[in-house]
This record gives sequence, C-alpha cells and structure tokens, in this order.
Amino acid sequence: MNIIVGLITGMIAGATPILLAALGGTLTFYAGIFNIAMEGMMLMAAFFAVLGSFLFHSWLVGLLFAVAGAMILALIFIFFSVTLNTDEFVTGIALNLFALGSTTYLLRQIFKVKGVFTSKLIDSIPNIHIPLIEKIPLLGPVVSGRNLIVYLAVIATIFCYYLVFKTRFGLRLRAAGYNSNSLDSSGVRTSRMQIQSLLLCAVFCGLAGAFLSLGYVTLFAENMTAGRGWISLAAIILVDGHPYGIALISLLFGFFDGLGLFLQSYGVSSQFTSMVPYIATLGALYVYARRNRERERKAL
Amino acid sequence: MTRRILSGVLGVVIAFVVGAIIMLLEGYEPLATYGALAQFSLGGIGPLTTTLKNSVPLVLTGLSAAIAFASGPVNLGQPGQLVFGALAATLGGLYISLPPVLEIPLLLLLAIAGGALWSGLAGLLKQAFGMSEFIVTLMLNMIADFFTAWAIAYPFMDRKAFSPMTPPIAQSGWMPDIGPLNASVLIMLVSVVVMWFVFQRWRAGYEWRITGQNSLFARLGGCDVRGNFMAVMLVTGALAGLAGGLVVMGGPHRFLKGLGANYAWDGIMIAIMANNGLVETLIYGVFVAAIQTGALGMELITNVPSEIAQVLQAVLVLVIVATREYASVVFDRLAARRQARERAT
Repeated sequence: MNIIVGLITGMIAGATPILLAALGGTLTFYAGIFNIAMEGMMLMAAFFAVLGSFLFHSWLVGLLFAVAGAMILALIFIFFSVTLNTDEFVTGIALNLFALGSTTYLLRQIFKVKGVFTSKLIDSIPNIHIPLIEKIPLLGPVVSGRNLIVYLAVIATIFCYYLVFKTRFGLRLRAAGYNSNSLDSSGVRTSRMQIQSLLLCAVFCGLAGAFLSLGYVTLFAENMTAGRGWISLAAIILVDGHPYGIALISLLFGFFDGLGLFLQSYGVSSQFTSMVPYIATLGALYVYARRNRERERKAL
Repeated sequence: MTRRILSGVLGVVIAFVVGAIIMLLEGYEPLATYGALAQFSLGGIGPLTTTLKNSVPLVLTGLSAAIAFASGPVNLGQPGQLVFGALAATLGGLYISLPPVLEIPLLLLLAIAGGALWSGLAGLLKQAFGMSEFIVTLMLNMIADFFTAWAIAYPFMDRKAFSPMTPPIAQSGWMPDIGPLNASVLIMLVSVVVMWFVFQRWRAGYEWRITGQNSLFARLGGCDVRGNFMAVMLVTGALAGLAGGLVVMGGPHRFLKGLGANYAWDGIMIAIMANNGLVETLIYGVFVAAIQTGALGMELITNVPSEIAQVLQAVLVLVIVATREYASVVFDRLAARRQARERAT
C-alpha cells in the first residue's frame, strides 16, 4: 500500500516541472515559434527562486523572483528572435547556454560556492493539506499534502486548454502559428501574439523552476534542470501541443522518474535508474513515429 | 566574403562591448580583465600552445556540428558521441599495450568507432522507425552521460583514486609533444583539411551539401538521400568521438568524472557562430578556446571568476548571429539604394 502511494506521489512530483514547462512551451508552439529555451528559462527560474527566498525568507518572493528570472530570458528571446529576426533555434540554444553560464557565474558571485547552494534561510514552498479529503484512505495521502505548485499545475493545465481553444486570444494565437499572413491581414500583429506567448511561457517555466529548487528539493545545483526542458519539448511534439495530452505524457514521464528512484532501493545503481526517463522518452518517440507512419500510409 | 568577415568582426566587437558593460556593472575593470584574458591565452609560446591544445575538442565537435547542420541531419549528439569516443579510447588504452606507432592509431580508431557507434544508433532509429534525430540525439546524450559515469564508477574504476575515474591508459597511447606543441593539434588540423576536401571537393560532400539545402532536389537529381543521411551521421559522430579520444590521450590520460561536461554544447555553439563554414569553425574554435584558456589565468590576477567566460560565450553566439543576419539586411538595403541612385542618374 505504502509502495503504491509512494510511486504515485513520486510520479506527481516528477511530472510537475515537465508539465508546467511543456504548457508554457505549447503556447509558443501554437504561436508558431520553435522555442527550445524552456530548459534555460527553468534553470534561471530555479536559481532566482532560491535567491529571492534566501534574501527575503519568503517563498512567495522566491516565486516572484523565479518568474522574473524566466522573464529575463523571454525578453532576450523576444529581442533577438522577434525584433532582430535571428533564427529561433540558434537563439534558443544560445539562451540555454546563457542560462547555464550565468547561473553558474552568479552562484559563485553571490553565494561564493561552486556546484550546490543550500541554506537554512531558504523558505521552501509549502505543501497543502486539504481537510476531510486527507482522511480518505489511499486517495487522501495522494490528493492531499502535495506541494502548492502541483495544484497550480493542475489548474494551469485546464487554464491552458481553455485559453487556447475557447478564447479569442487562443484563436489568434493558433492563427499566428497556422497562417501568420492571414492573421496580419486581419489586423492583428503576429509578432505581438508571439511576444505574449513567450511572456506567458516564461511565467509557466518560472513556476516549473521554482518547483525544482523550492519544492522538489530546497537547494540550487548547477544545471539542475538536467534536460527536463528537452523532455518537455518532446512531450509537446508527441501530442501536437494539446494541453491534456501533455498532462498525460508528463505523468508517464513522472512515473518512469519515480520508478527509477524505486528501482534504486532494489540495488540497481543510480546511473542506470537515472537513464529511465530518457529511455522512456525514446520509447514514446518510437510510438509516435510509428503512428505517424501508419497515418501516412493510410493517406496514400 | 568581405561582408562575412566584416559582420563577424563587428559581432565580436559588439559582444566584447556587451561583456565589458557586464563587467562594469559587476565592478570589475574590463580593460584589465581583457588584457589578462589575452595574456594568458595568446601571450607567448606557452599560453599559445595551451590554447591550441584546448581548441582540439572544440574544433572537432564544431566540425561535427557544422557538417551535420549543413547537410541536413540535426545531430545534437556531440556530447554523447564525445564521451563514447573517449570511453572507447580509454578502454583500448587500458587493456591493449602496443608500441606507440601502433597504439596511437589504434586508440584513435577506437575513439572514432565509439563516436560513430553512438551517432549510428541515432541514425538507425531515424532510418528504421522515422524517429526524429533531433530529440533522439539529445536523449542519447543523457544516456551516454550516465552510462560512462557508471562505467568509470564500477567496472573500470581506479581503486586507488578518491573520485570516479579509470586508471591511466598505457603510456604508449599518450599523445606525444612535438616541441612545445601537443600532437593532438596536428591530428585536429589534418581532420579539418580532410573534412574540407571531402565536403567541398568530393562528390559525397557535394551530395551532402545539396541534400542540406534542398533534399527534394537532391533526391530528384539522383542522390541516395537515405544513404547520405546515415553517412553524415556516422562521419559527424566519428569526429565527435575523435575529439573525445584526443582529450583522453592528450590530457589527463584517463577518463575523469565529468570529462564531457566541459565541451557539452561548445561544438554546436561554435558551428552556429561559424554559420556551418568549416574554415570559420576552425577560427571560432581557436577563438573560443582562447577565451576559455585565458579565463583561468584571468581569475588568478583580477578576481573575476572564470565562469564569466561561459557568459561571454553565450553573448558572443547571440550577438555574432544577430549581427550577421541584421548586417545582411542593412547591406542589402545599401546595395538597393546604390542601384536605385545609379538608375536615377
């Protein structure tokens, strides 16, 4: 019983950052931007979350700092890719490097450490206990007592779906990606939609980063995102950007993430258990590629 | 041509100005810092040869990325291919001991094979199942990272060491110094020349380039697009693997923990700065190596942390690329204006 609850809570914790980053990325995906900067945005956010929380001893300030940190990258992205028309792929790669370099630099500069920074003064984001539901066996310990960001991620998924498919903003957003010329000629600037989608993406990646450094653990480590931004990109591609599909895929990755930790307690060495989510991504990609091929064959 | 040089130089200058502004904001003296940077990377024979030696993995992974991007395949797997090449060369050096004349070529071949194996796997997944090499190579990077970390922590670990690493490889496999210069630099230069010939003068290279520019045209023209894809994946993986082998054979002579992390994305970045040109990759590779090498010395005398090199690098990429693309717009506009004026008179 405890094992099942442990696996499920591990799955939720592993899925949350990927889900949030992928939701942010999918907004830019619909707007027709090839955005691969989620990794960098998350990393920046994770660092600034720790910085804000450390300086003001408040997780709320940490959260705001996190969003601001991701926003810095989004603004640079906008400046280069939308204003100067630099290639999006190049901009994304450079920004990921910039995030890695500057967080490593700032870690050394502000906290005077290399590698990992942790402190008792960092206030982590609280877990939320829901009264009544908490008491239900099996369901209670899973639904209640999760980190605040986890609940935010659930709300964000529904919000994203509603935003993209049910609002005027979402219609314009999809039009920007689908046919930017017709959007422009109908009097809505495509670049404006793209800018807004990038800023929203930064908010989501900010939450994802804050969860990593103030929820999942309470510390900042160099390159602590460890490819989660890339996995979130894979998740977007696998379900063509649909928010509910992303949630499902994220949970799947979360499951394998948790499974890795679980196997570790059975004596499998940590290097192999850490590979599990990446191998799972390859597996998901295989399924996707096969489905695509079959669809093509049917179309012929 | 002059345009390209002009926009490149302009980009570097702007990037350094941006770097200087960052340093000023942090309360450092930019001129003294840049002076120290240049002094420790280019000032004299010693620093210069160190810079060249450090440029080996950067140039080779850059070459790998440049050839891949210019030929179509989005091979982002250089980090993984590098560590696999390094691991293959290390294992060869641990268990095989031959005279240097045989040992060195053998280890280099092993490194090439190790890199090609890992990129070939990505190529195979694409060919057989249509899985996008873009994500596959990224995931394989992570897997390679953990796999080599396991290999040096368990089966091939040096029992006498305190952190995960292999024992040193056979001394006959060490890259010799020719005068002050390490022989790995020569291997790098030879690789650049060979790849330039293959890419610019041979039929295979022509087919790769055409496929990269317009794969439909290449296919209608009779190129074996699928075969070429695999060939490019194997060649670019081999180059990254060679880089890994040379890092081990020229430097620590063993597989240390975190060996690949230092070069992880540098090759891709250099290829982007070079706009996938092979000669430009060599130039930018040495340039980035100079910044990285100088940064360590700079830290000693100016108190500026060497990590600023990483920030500077990222600024360089962004500014160089943006300058190049923006400059071409400006140049075109100037040319159009000149033409218009000529027509008017």
